[in-house]
Amino acid sequence: MSAYLLRRIGTSIIVLIGISIFMYLLLHSVFPSPARIALGLRANQAQIDAFNKEHGFDRPVFEQYLTYINGLVHGNLGYSYAENQTVASLFQERLARSIYLSGISLIFAIAIAIPLGIFQAVRRNSLGDNVATSAAFILYSMPSFFLGLILIQVFALSFPILGFEASQSTSIWTVIGDWHDMLLPILTLTLITVANFSRYMRSSSIDVLAQDYIKVARAKGLPERLVLSRHMVRNASLPMVTLIGLFLPALLAGNLVTETLFNYPGLGLLFFNSLGKEDYPVLLAYTLIGAVFVVLGNFVADIALTVADPRIRLA
Amino acid sequence: MTRFGTKYIGGLALAVAGITALAACSSSNSSSSTPTNTNTTPGVTTEPGSIGGIPAAGTASGTAGNITYGYLAGNAPNWILPIIPAADNSVYNSFVFGWQLWRPTWFTWNGSSPAVNDSMSPANAPTSSNGGKTFTMTFKNWKWSDGQPVGAADMAFTLDIIKAALKESPANWANYVPGYFPDTLTSMSTPDASTLVLNMAKPVNPTWLEEDIIDIGMMPAHAWAKASANGPTLDYTVPANAKKIWDFLNAQSKSVNTYATNPLWQVVYGPYKLTAYNATTGSFTMSPNTAYSGPHANPMSTFTGVPFTSDAAQFNAIKSGSVDVAAIPAADNPQIPALKGEGYNYYGLPAWGDYFAAFNFKDTTGDFNNIASQLYFRQAMQHLEDQPGQIKAFLNGYGDPLSGPIGAYPQSPFLPANGKTVLYPFSISTATDLLKAHGWTINANGTDVCSSAGTGANQCGSGIPAGTKLAFNLIYNAVSPITQEVEDLASNAKAAGINITLSASNFNFMIQNYIDPASPANINKWAMEDFGGESFSTYPTSFGLFNTGGSGQIGDYSDPKADALINASISSPNPSAVMDELSYLDTTVPVLWQPLRDHVYAWKTNISATTPKAFENLTQYDPTPEFWYVTK
Repeated sequence: MSAYLLRRIGTSIIVLIGISIFMYLLLHSVFPSPARIALGLRANQAQIDAFNKEHGFDRPVFEQYLTYINGLVHGNLGYSYAENQTVASLFQERLARSIYLSGISLIFAIAIAIPLGIFQAVRRNSLGDNVATSAAFILYSMPSFFLGLILIQVFALSFPILGFEASQSTSIWTVIGDWHDMLLPILTLTLITVANFSRYMRSSSIDVLAQDYIKVARAKGLPERLVLSRHMVRNASLPMVTLIGLFLPALLAGNLVTETLFNYPGLGLLFFNSLGKEDYPVLLAYTLIGAVFVVLGNFVADIALTVADPRIRLA
Repeated sequence: MTRFGTKYIGGLALAVAGITALAACSSSNSSSSTPTNTNTTPGVTTEPGSIGGIPAAGTASGTAGNITYGYLAGNAPNWILPIIPAADNSVYNSFVFGWQLWRPTWFTWNGSSPAVNDSMSPANAPTSSNGGKTFTMTFKNWKWSDGQPVGAADMAFTLDIIKAALKESPANWANYVPGYFPDTLTSMSTPDASTLVLNMAKPVNPTWLEEDIIDIGMMPAHAWAKASANGPTLDYTVPANAKKIWDFLNAQSKSVNTYATNPLWQVVYGPYKLTAYNATTGSFTMSPNTAYSGPHANPMSTFTGVPFTSDAAQFNAIKSGSVDVAAIPAADNPQIPALKGEGYNYYGLPAWGDYFAAFNFKDTTGDFNNIASQLYFRQAMQHLEDQPGQIKAFLNGYGDPLSGPIGAYPQSPFLPANGKTVLYPFSISTATDLLKAHGWTINANGTDVCSSAGTGANQCGSGIPAGTKLAFNLIYNAVSPITQEVEDLASNAKAAGINITLSASNFNFMIQNYIDPASPANINKWAMEDFGGESFSTYPTSFGLFNTGGSGQIGDYSDPKADALINASISSPNPSAVMDELSYLDTTVPVLWQPLRDHVYAWKTNISATTPKAFENLTQYDPTPEFWYVTK
C-alpha cells in the first residue's frame, strides 16, 4: 500500500509538472504578452515595454516559466495586475464560498440521488420510476445556465420569493445563513447533479439486484429491507464513490456558469473575469489548482474504493 | 487621444485616457432613422438623438437615501489614487469611483454635452498665452474635507508626483505620450495660492490640455506629501522626495483591502467620502462629504456601487427592483419600453466614441494596400454600409448613423458641418458607379476586376495592376451585433462584386495580433478588421489614432494633410482646429464607419435630481450622485 501511495504521488507530481508546462506554453503561444489588453489600445510602445519589463514578459518563455515555478514552490501564486491583489489573497477570499456552494449542493445531490436511484431500481418501470427517469433526462440535458434562468424568472421575478442573485456578503457565515439568496444557486446545482447521480445509482442498483448473492439472500428468507440495506446499497454505491471523487475539482474550483449567472463571487467567477482580462497569474493558478484537484480527486476515489470494497486491493 | 483607457463592459470596452474599444452591445428604439426624440411630455427633458426622457425634478421632500448604482458587467474599481496607471485606466476607476472623491480639475461631461461643466469644476477655465506655451490655471475657493483650501500647490504637487511616477515607468500614468505633457513642461510657478502657471517648451492647444491631458483629480499636498503613513511632510519639488512619495502612494493604492480604512483616502474634496469597500466584489459605499464645495442636492444621499458580473444578473436586478440606477445591457434593449411599467425611468444616447471596421493600409496581399489607399474605394465601401438598415435590424432601432470620428449625438460643440449628415449613404449602385468610374469591371455577385490600370482619374490607381481582383478578408470580433453587421456588409459588397471573406475571431486576440505597429509579422494576414470601436475625449482629436505613427494606429493610415490638421488640433490655440481635422477625416473615410449604439440607463421613478444633467451624463458612464435624491 505504501509503495502504491509513493508511486501514485510520484506520477501525480509528473502529471502536474506536465500540465503546468502545457498551460504555460499554451497561454504564452496564444498571447505572448497581455500588455495590449491590460493597457488599452492607445498604450504607446514605451508603456507596453515598461509593462512587459515589470511583469517579466520581455524575458524568454522558459525563463518566465522557471521563475513562475520557483514562486509556486515558495508559496507565491503571483500578483494579479488586473485586480491589484496577490493571487493567493484573491483565492483565499473566494475559496470558502465556492466550497460552500458546491459542497452543499453535492451533499443535497447525494442525499437525494442515492435513495432515488435505489427506489427506481427496486420499482423499475413503475410510474414513479418513469416520472423520475423523465425528470432526470430533462434536467440532465438542460444546461445549468438555462435551468438557473428559469428558476430566477419563476422564483425571483414572477413570484419574488427568493433572491435573483447569490449572497454578496464577505462573511462566509452570513452567506451560509442567507437562504433567501443562496437557495436558487444551490437548487440549480443540486438538480443538475441529482439528474446525473441518480441515473448512475439506478443503473448500478439494477446490476447489483441481478447478482447471485442478492438471490441467495432472498432465498434464505432475508427480509427485503435487509436485502437492500445490507447487501445492495453498499455494493451499488461503489460507482458513486468514483463519481463523487471526480466531482471534487468542481467542489473546490467553483462552478463557473452558476457563479456567473448568480453573480456569486467565488473562484469560478474569478476565473471567468480573468479570462476577459487575460490575467495570466490568475488563469495559471486556477488551472494548476484545478489540475491538483483532479489528481487528488482520483486519488481519493481510489482510496475510498478500497475502504468501501475490501475485494479491491491497491498494488 | 481620449479620456478613456481600456476595460470591458460586457463586450464593450472603455478607457479613460486614450482610445478604447467599443465592442459588442447594441440598442433599440428611436434614435436612428428618426433621431429626434418624440417624447413631448411637458417637463420631460429630451435631446436630439436620445431615447426615453428625464422627468422634471420631483418634490424634494427633504429625503436623502441610500441610492444604489449598478455597474455593467465585471469591472469593479481596483485603483483609488488620482494618478491612474495605464493598466488600471477605466471609466469605473475614474468616473464612477475616483471622481466622487477627487473631482477632476475640469469636470466633463456637462450633462450629455461633451464639454466642461464649469460649476462642478474646482478650477476656473484656464487661459493660454505666450503663443500657446503658457497655461494659467486658477482655482476656486474649494475646501478639502479637513478644511484646508484646494489650490495651486495641490495641482503642482500632483504634477510633480506624475513626473516622478513617469520616471519610474511610462506606464504609470495612462495619459502619458512620450514627447508630450509632462515632457514638454519646462517649469511651473505659483504666483499665489490659487494660481498655477505652466510653461511649455512648445505650444499646446489649451482645450486639449484642459479636457484630455490634465483633466485629473488633484492630490492634497498637505496630507499626502510623505513617504510613510506617519512620516514627515516632504518637499515634493525635490525629485528624490517625489519618487519616495510616489512609491508610497502607489503601494497604498495597490492595497485594495484598505481603501475604506486608510486615512489617506479620507482627505477628499469631491462630493463623497469612501466608507465601505469590498475588495472581493468591488462594491462600495460612499457617504456625503459635508465639506464639499461644489453644487449638490441638500441633503445628499449615500451612494452605493453594486457591480454585477453578468449582464443577466444586472438586468434581473433592475427587473426585481433591487437596484436604483443601472445601465440596461444591450441584449435587453427590446425590454426597455416595459421598464416604465416596472417603476423605472430610462434615458439613452450613444456613448461618446465611434464604431468602425479598420482598413489595413500595409496588407500587400492582392495589392490590398494599394486598393485601400484609394479614396474612391473607401468611399465605395462606405456606400455599402447600410447603417439605417443595420440600426433597425440589429440594434432594435437604438442607434445613430456615423460618418466620421464623432457622431452627431451627443452633440459636440466641435461637430463639423459635414458631420451632421451621412456623407456616403448606403447605395450599392453609387458604390458600383464609383468603381466603374475608376477602371473596375463590375461582376455583381462575382468578383470585380481592375481592367484599367494606371494613375489617371478614371483608372484603378497607383500600384494596382490590371487583373487585380476586389477580394480580401475581414476579421471580426464574433459578438452581437458585429457579426450581423459584417455579414450584412459582406452581402452588400457581394452585390457590388466585392468579395469579402469573413473570419471570426475575438477582441483580445485581434488587438494583440492585428494591429500593424504592434504585430508587424501579421501585416499581410488581414485586410480589414472589426473589433468594435473606440471612445474619445470630449476634445475629440484623433491624435494617436489617425496621425502617422500614432500610438493607437491600427492599420497604419497615413495622410500628410490629416497629420497637419491633427497636429494643429493639439498644438494650435485655434479652437476651430479640431473641427477642421474632423471635417477632413469625415471626407477621407480612414476607417469604415459603423452605427453608434445607444447606451441606456434606467433609474427608479422615486429617484429625482436637482438637474436633469445628473441623469443625462449617466449615458457617458459619468454618474453625479450628489444631485440625486429620493422623492418618496
